[in-house]
Amino acid sequence: MGSLEDLRRQRTRTFDTIAAVVLTIGIVGVLLEVLVGRYGLNWTYIASAWPTYLRGAWVTFYVTTVSYIVGMGIGFIIGWARAARVSVRKPGAQGAAVFGVKYTLRRMGDGYVAAIRGTPLFVQIVFVSSVLVIRFSSLDPNQLALIAGLVALTANTGGYQSEIFRAGIQTVHTGQVEAARAIGFSRWKAMRHVVLPQALRLVIPPLTNEYIGLLKASSLLLVIGIVELTEIGRREAFFQGKPFESFAIVTGLYLLITVPVSKIVEYIERRLRVPGLGIQAAPTTRV
Amino acid sequence: MATAEASVADVRGHPIVRRASLIRVIEAVIGASIFLVLLQILLNFSLLDPEFWRRYGGSFETGIGTTLRFVAIILPLSAVLGFFLGWLRISRFRSLSWPVAVYVDFFRGIPPIVIVIYASIFGAALLQARFTGKDLAWNVAAVALALHSAAYQSEIFRAGFQSVPRGQIEAAQALGMRPTQAMYNVVLPQALRLSLPPLGNEFAVVIKDTSLLAAIGTLDLFGVSQDFIQAVFLQPGASVYWLLTMWTAVALVYFAMTTAVTQVLLFLERKFHVRGLEGVSV
Amino acid sequence: MIRVEDVHKYFGTLHVLRGISLDVSKGEALVIIGPSGSGKSTLLRCINLLVEPDAGRVFIDGVHVNRHDINREWVRQQVGMVFQSFNLFTHLTALENVMLGPIRVKGVSREQAEDKAKQLLARVGLAAKANAYPAELSGGQQQRVAIARALAMDPKAMLFDEPTSALDPEYIREVLDAMTALARDGMTMIVVTHEMGFASNVAKRIVFMDGGVILEEGHPQEIFEHPKQERTRAFVSKILR
Repeated sequence: MGSLEDLRRQRTRTFDTIAAVVLTIGIVGVLLEVLVGRYGLNWTYIASAWPTYLRGAWVTFYVTTVSYIVGMGIGFIIGWARAARVSVRKPGAQGAAVFGVKYTLRRMGDGYVAAIRGTPLFVQIVFVSSVLVIRFSSLDPNQLALIAGLVALTANTGGYQSEIFRAGIQTVHTGQVEAARAIGFSRWKAMRHVVLPQALRLVIPPLTNEYIGLLKASSLLLVIGIVELTEIGRREAFFQGKPFESFAIVTGLYLLITVPVSKIVEYIERRLRVPGLGIQAAPTTRV
Repeated sequence: MATAEASVADVRGHPIVRRASLIRVIEAVIGASIFLVLLQILLNFSLLDPEFWRRYGGSFETGIGTTLRFVAIILPLSAVLGFFLGWLRISRFRSLSWPVAVYVDFFRGIPPIVIVIYASIFGAALLQARFTGKDLAWNVAAVALALHSAAYQSEIFRAGFQSVPRGQIEAAQALGMRPTQAMYNVVLPQALRLSLPPLGNEFAVVIKDTSLLAAIGTLDLFGVSQDFIQAVFLQPGASVYWLLTMWTAVALVYFAMTTAVTQVLLFLERKFHVRGLEGVSV
Repeated sequence: MIRVEDVHKYFGTLHVLRGISLDVSKGEALVIIGPSGSGKSTLLRCINLLVEPDAGRVFIDGVHVNRHDINREWVRQQVGMVFQSFNLFTHLTALENVMLGPIRVKGVSREQAEDKAKQLLARVGLAAKANAYPAELSGGQQQRVAIARALAMDPKAMLFDEPTSALDPEYIREVLDAMTALARDGMTMIVVTHEMGFASNVAKRIVFMDGGVILEEGHPQEIFEHPKQERTRAFVSKILR
């Protein structure tokens, strides 16, 4: 089987693959050498300081997960509200009032999302923190910081998740509600049995990416004194004089979570891809 | 983004763009004004406190200038690098595309603030022999932020390149075009157009990311504001409510910048729009 | 004009072309029919070197072209190709699509290319649509622009890869008419198609391919009415409506 042309192509392919591996490992190796090689990694330190970093990682995980879950509730409600199509205005004063309320609510939702996406997370965090400092000045500063951080992260992820839910519902919604009602479903039943099940399946990949994004964004809580993973790394780098080791551990821990999860999401998206169905361009929390 | 609500648009099925966007802008301005007024009433602060602005105004201006300066460095750097990396990423040679994939996975997998912090440490340490100046750490961190954004932008450009139907590349070859000619005349014009909207979002993120430089002491808009906090609690006659005024003002400035950038790119996309080119999504 | 000698092509372990030999003389219109997967598209692509034959030789106007030292771009200028999915450049108008090749590949001046393009579009009946973008054209119109685009390079021969298979029925006629006119004007062409009417009108010879080999060759009448091979008969009966 095959010919000279084929053999040549196979050989180029093997050579290319080997070169790729060598090049990748080589570049990474050179970088590590430049950064670490001169001083070497202090393995004793790593062995002993391990728990400190894990404590930071735990804070990161805890803060992210709590905000994510509460944010999901907020995001779902707002997303649903914004996904509804333009309602027909019923005649009369009552109709106008209902329309007016829906309009205002929808606009408020738009504004909320725009504010979250248009301002840096840093600013959101310190703003919430300032409000709490002024209103609840008697609170223990550590508790205050934690509450502020949770509120800010929740608001942030709520905004982005509302976009994800909105996109998911809207993708499915078109025509399906009509089809369902033609069979005999009421509007609510159609939502519950036809739109939502499909929408839920659509939103899982972007929601997973959002969790990862939030995990990374939680690092910004160090600005109000919350001691999460990055802050531990920063302190160890400056006050213990161990920049390389802390860099290695901090980066390693983040990559350990983010890369595999992202790869799994990519894989699932590829496997389950239905042509013409999928939320694209759903923005996720970026700092 | 707010969806156009004009009911006429829904009946026809196509949004009447001009009228809708004007309505949207008016809605947004009115809504924002109402919101700001309500916020000030609710939280008991004033955006226009003259005493505050007398003390903070100078820092405010300097801070904005510094932020804009960093944006002007980071945006072009990241765009050029991102484009180049996106191109390499779709190469059929694994020796080119794999290193880029590792680069992208690395920079997208760690928080940007981690990049800023450690870039300032290592950068200053490594380059101290050659360069001096207290700005060194900041500039190194800014370049690191550019590297970070380039990873995201490379994915945007990659999607753009891959959105151009393969058949058109075949057709270009069949006409006798060399691979570079096909790239320049057929792929690039389409890929770039398709990349514009997601790029607008990414540029907005870059603008917001510059605030991270404050974590290493940079005196950008966020940094000067944080410095000013010391003043609030130290100076006589300072009101604690100035915190709210300040951060609201800062938020508005960032909001204006991100909106401007996304609008510019949307405008460019509309200007160069050709019917039939579908948008890419990343 | 185009000669194919014992060409073989493998895609991995799949033996797609198993020793195809063909001779197309100048001015001849040859039609190739056959079931999908028989290698017809691959054969066409071996002629303009979009695909490299693994064995055998391809000659265009007497020149042996499947050598590794050949200038592929030159080869592709000699032979024009029209694709099943048109593949028009979506960011350019019809006129610009036709002009692009001559300007960029042959170095023709913009004015000359424009004049020529206008003529060619008129020839396929689309003078009025010169400034339309592909998205604004029907399938049949797009394919005719694709034909004009290929002709703009002054090729010695034209290859058509199922040019009407992706078209709605009402547009097939206009494309076939354009191709018929081209054949009447003496263009050497190889057409892969299922359109039997066109084949009967235009081709002197029809080739039936199946499983990577040429099973039968002959006049349209012979192939359609008195096919010699069993598989030819089975295929023809399926596509003759």
